[in-house]
Amino acid sequence: MSLRDRVRAVLGRLVAASPTERVLISLASLVMAILVGTVIILVAGRATTCGAESASYYFGVGFCYDPIVVYDRLFLGALGDPLSAGWDPFNRQLAITLRETTVLLFTGLSVAIAFRAGIFNIGTQGQMVVGALATAVAVLWASPLVSGAVGTVLLIPFGILVGSLFGGLYGAIPGALKAYADANEVITTIMLNFVATSIVLYLVSGVFKDPESFANQTESLPEFALFPSLLYDSAYGFSILALLFGLVAIGVLYYVLEQTTFGYNVRTSGLQPRAAEYGGVDAKRIVVATMSLSGALGGIAGAVYVMMVLGKFQTGVPAYGFDGITVAILGGSNPIGVGLAAFLFGVLKSGTTVVQFATDVPRQLIGVLRGLIILFVAMPEFFRLLGRRTMGPSRPKNEGGATATDGGESETEVSTDG
Amino acid sequence: MSDPVVELRGITKRFPGVLANDEVDLTVERGTVHALLGENGAGKTTLMNVLYGLYEPTAGQVVLDGEPREFGSPRDAIDAGVGMIHQHFMLSDPMTITENITLGNEPTKFGGLVIDRDRAREEVVALSDRYGFDVDPDARVEDVSVGVQQRVEILKTLYRGAEVLIFDEPTAVLTPQEAEDLFAVMDELTDQGKTIIFITHKLGEAMASADEITVLRDGENVGTVAAGETTRDQLAELMVGREVLLDVEKVPSTPGDVVLEVTDLGIEDNRGVRAVDGVSFSVREGEVFGIAGVDGNGQSELVSAITGMHTVADGSVRFRGEEFTDRSRRERIDAGLSYIPSDRQEEGLVMRFDLVENGMLGSQHSEPFARGGRIDWGAATDHAESIVEEYDVRPPTADTVAKSLSGGNQQKFIVGREFSRDPALLVATHPTRGVDVGSNEFIHERLLELRSAGVAVLLISSKLEEVTGLSDRLGVMHEGEIVATVDPDRITEEQLGLLMAGEQPGTDLPRVEPTPTVGEQP
Repeated sequence: MSLRDRVRAVLGRLVAASPTERVLISLASLVMAILVGTVIILVAGRATTCGAESASYYFGVGFCYDPIVVYDRLFLGALGDPLSAGWDPFNRQLAITLRETTVLLFTGLSVAIAFRAGIFNIGTQGQMVVGALATAVAVLWASPLVSGAVGTVLLIPFGILVGSLFGGLYGAIPGALKAYADANEVITTIMLNFVATSIVLYLVSGVFKDPESFANQTESLPEFALFPSLLYDSAYGFSILALLFGLVAIGVLYYVLEQTTFGYNVRTSGLQPRAAEYGGVDAKRIVVATMSLSGALGGIAGAVYVMMVLGKFQTGVPAYGFDGITVAILGGSNPIGVGLAAFLFGVLKSGTTVVQFATDVPRQLIGVLRGLIILFVAMPEFFRLLGRRTMGPSRPKNEGGATATDGGESETEVSTDG
Repeated sequence: MSDPVVELRGITKRFPGVLANDEVDLTVERGTVHALLGENGAGKTTLMNVLYGLYEPTAGQVVLDGEPREFGSPRDAIDAGVGMIHQHFMLSDPMTITENITLGNEPTKFGGLVIDRDRAREEVVALSDRYGFDVDPDARVEDVSVGVQQRVEILKTLYRGAEVLIFDEPTAVLTPQEAEDLFAVMDELTDQGKTIIFITHKLGEAMASADEITVLRDGENVGTVAAGETTRDQLAELMVGREVLLDVEKVPSTPGDVVLEVTDLGIEDNRGVRAVDGVSFSVREGEVFGIAGVDGNGQSELVSAITGMHTVADGSVRFRGEEFTDRSRRERIDAGLSYIPSDRQEEGLVMRFDLVENGMLGSQHSEPFARGGRIDWGAATDHAESIVEEYDVRPPTADTVAKSLSGGNQQKFIVGREFSRDPALLVATHPTRGVDVGSNEFIHERLLELRSAGVAVLLISSKLEEVTGLSDRLGVMHEGEIVATVDPDRITEEQLGLLMAGEQPGTDLPRVEPTPTVGEQP
C-alpha cells in the first residue's frame, strides 16, 4: 500500500514536473548514465589485457580503458575541446556535430509533430529519402538556368521547397490511408519506407544515374547550388545557415502548436480524439494535414542532406529518420526539446568517432555507452507517459456519477436532490 | 444511549493556501449510520482521511472508544478498527473474491509458509453469511458487477476487524437497485453493532439511510441533526448557507418557431445494431423538450446523431428548417448548437488542458478566440475566468488543469461554457450530474433563463425530478423508440415508470403532440 502510494506519488510528481524541472531531471539522468557507463568501462577494461604502461590506475588497480578519457573524448572531443586554450569554434569536430544536429533536428521535428497529433509516423526515413532525391533531381534540372550568388539565393529555397513538397506528398499517403481507409499508420509508414528505398534505388540506378560513376548516385550539384559553408571549411559538409534555418523551423513549429487554431486542434486530437471531435475538429483533415506537415519536414531533412552534407543524391541514406523517432521521444515531442535532443544526439554521433581515434575502446562498447545515455535520458519521459496513463483512468472512477463499469447495465442516478 | 465510538475534537486540517477543515467536532454513536453531508469541496473526505490516518491533522484530536489516538498511516487506523471503503475500489481484478478479501492477512499453515486456502474460503463464507451478503467466494472480481465488488470491499474491511466503516460516496457507481441493496447492507451492519460513517452530497440518500446527519460547509461543522427530525429544505439550507429552492419555479413557456425537427430517425450503433428507430419530435424556440428513459435505450445515440457525433441510418434532422442530417459537427456548432455531453472526461473536456484552453473548445475556430487562424489567448483567458466566476468553479483559477478539478466542478465548467455560447439549440445530457445542491439550483435557473430568452432546449436526464420539473413536453424512450410524448406536469410517477419499462399505462395518459407546429400550445 505504502509502496504503491509512493510509486503513484513519484509518477504524479513526474507528470506535474515543470519545464525547468524536466531539464534538471534530464541532466541528472545524464550523470547517472555516465556513472553506470563508468562501471561498465572499468569492468570491460579489467576483462581485456593491455600493456602495463598503457593502463590507467585507480585505487591501485590497473584498468585498460580509462572512463575519464572516454567521456572526455565523447563529449568535449565532439565539441573540439572547448575547454582547452586556443579553442577554434569553427573546428572540424564541432562542424560534424552540428551537421548531424541539423539533419536530426528536422527528422526529430517531423516525428514530433505527428506524435503531438497522436500519430506514429515511422515513415520519416522514407519521406526523407523521397525528398532528398526530388531535391537533387530538381536542383540539377534547374541549375543550368542560373548561376553564381543569384543561383544560390534561388536554388536553395527551391530545393527545400521541392524536398518538402515531395516529402509532404509522400507523408500524405499514409495520412489519407489512415483517415479514409482506417489503415494503421505504423504499418503503412514502415511499408512505405521500403517502397521509397526501392523506387529510389530503381530511379538512381536508371534514369537519374550519373553516367560517370559506378555508384548509384546522381551527378554532383554545382557548388553554387549548395548551402554556403560560410564560417566553416566547405569540406566539413556543414552550413551555419542550415542550422539557423532549423532553429527557425523550431520557432515556427512552436508557434503553430501553441498559438494557432490548427495547433490547438492537433494537440486536442493527440490528447483526446473524442474531445476533439466534440469540439468540431475534423479528425480526418487533421490526420492528413499533420502527416503532410510531418512528411514535409522529413523531406526538408532530405533536402538539407543533399544540399549541405552530400552535394548529390546517393542510395544508402543514413538512418536519420529512425534516429528522429528517438530524438522526438527524448525531446518530449516539444519543438524546443527536440532541438536539445538533436544536439545531444549530434554530440554522441560525432563523439563516437573521436573516442575511437583516441582510445582502444571497441566500437561496440561505445555503442553501449551511447545507448545507456539515450536510455537514461528517455526514461523519465517514458515514465511521464506511463504516469499519465496510470493516473489518468483512475480519476473518473473517483468522481460522482461516472459511468458504471458493471458490463453495460443501465445506470440511473438515485438522487432525490433535484 | 450515548455511547460514542468516534469523537473528533476540534480537527483542523490546513493545506497550503486552503483551510480544508476548521475546528470540526464530530461525535458518532455506536451502532448507527452517521451521514456526513456537504457540497463538493466542503471538507467531508478530508475529515474522514484524517480519521483514517491518511492525513495528519494540523490541530485537534481523534478519540476512539474514549481513548485519544494518533494514526500515522491507514494501517494504524485499520488496527484500531477503522476501515474505509473508497469510491475507487482497491481490488485486484484477476484474483478471486476470497483472495481479495484475505489479501495481506491470509491464514497460513505449515508455520506460515503456505496460504491456507481452505480456511480462507471458510472464513470468507462465514463472514459473508453472517451479514447476509450474497457473494460467490470463488468468482473473479473482474467477472462480478460493481455492486458485488463494493461488497467485496466491505467484506475486506470487515475481515480486517473494522468496527467503524467509512463509505466515501458509495452510491456514485451504483444502479438504483444496487444502492437500495447497499442501504439494506448498512442496516444489517449496524444491527450487528458496527458503526457507519457515510459521506454523501445527496440529501435524499442521507435522509433515507442515516440515523444522524452532520452537515459540513466550507470545512466547518454547521450542525448535526437527527434524520427523523429534519426536512430536505432544512438540510439544503444548512449545506448551502441560504434558502434553496429545491423545486424550480417555471413560468409557462411561449414557444416560437421550430428549431429542431427530427423525422423518422433511425440510427445504428457501432456494432451495427439498430439503437434508434423511427423517432420523430420537434423542439421550438423557448421550450424544453425532455427525454426520459432508462439509460441505454437509445438516448445517447439519439443525442450523438443530433449533435453530429454519429451518423444517421435513415430519417432526417432539420435545424431551423434547413436539412442538417449530414452536416459536420463544426457546421452544427457554428449554426448555434450547444451540447453538454454525458461523458465529460472523454468528450466535454480535454483533461490535460487547463481551463483557458478548455473554455474555447468548440469555439476555437471563431471570433473572438481565433483571428485569422491565430489564437487570441487574452480573449480565451477572459472567457474562462468569467465562466469560473459565474459558475462558482473551484479552485477559482483559470490556469488549473481540468483533470485536477472534482467531477462536479468539471461539470459546472462545461455547463458554463455551453450556456455562454449564445446558442439557438441547447442539447443537455445530465446537466447536473455530480454537482452539489447549490449549483444544481443555479444550473436549473440558468437553463430556464435560456428558455425564456428563446433558446430551444433538448434535455436528457436520468433524474426524473429534473426532467419532469424542467420540461414542457416529455418524450419517453424505450428500446430506441419514443413510446409516448406526455405533459410532464400531469403525468404520475407510476405512469412514467411503466412507460420507461415499455408498458402502456391505460388510457388516461396526458399525451401531447410530439411535433407541434409554430406557436401551438402543448
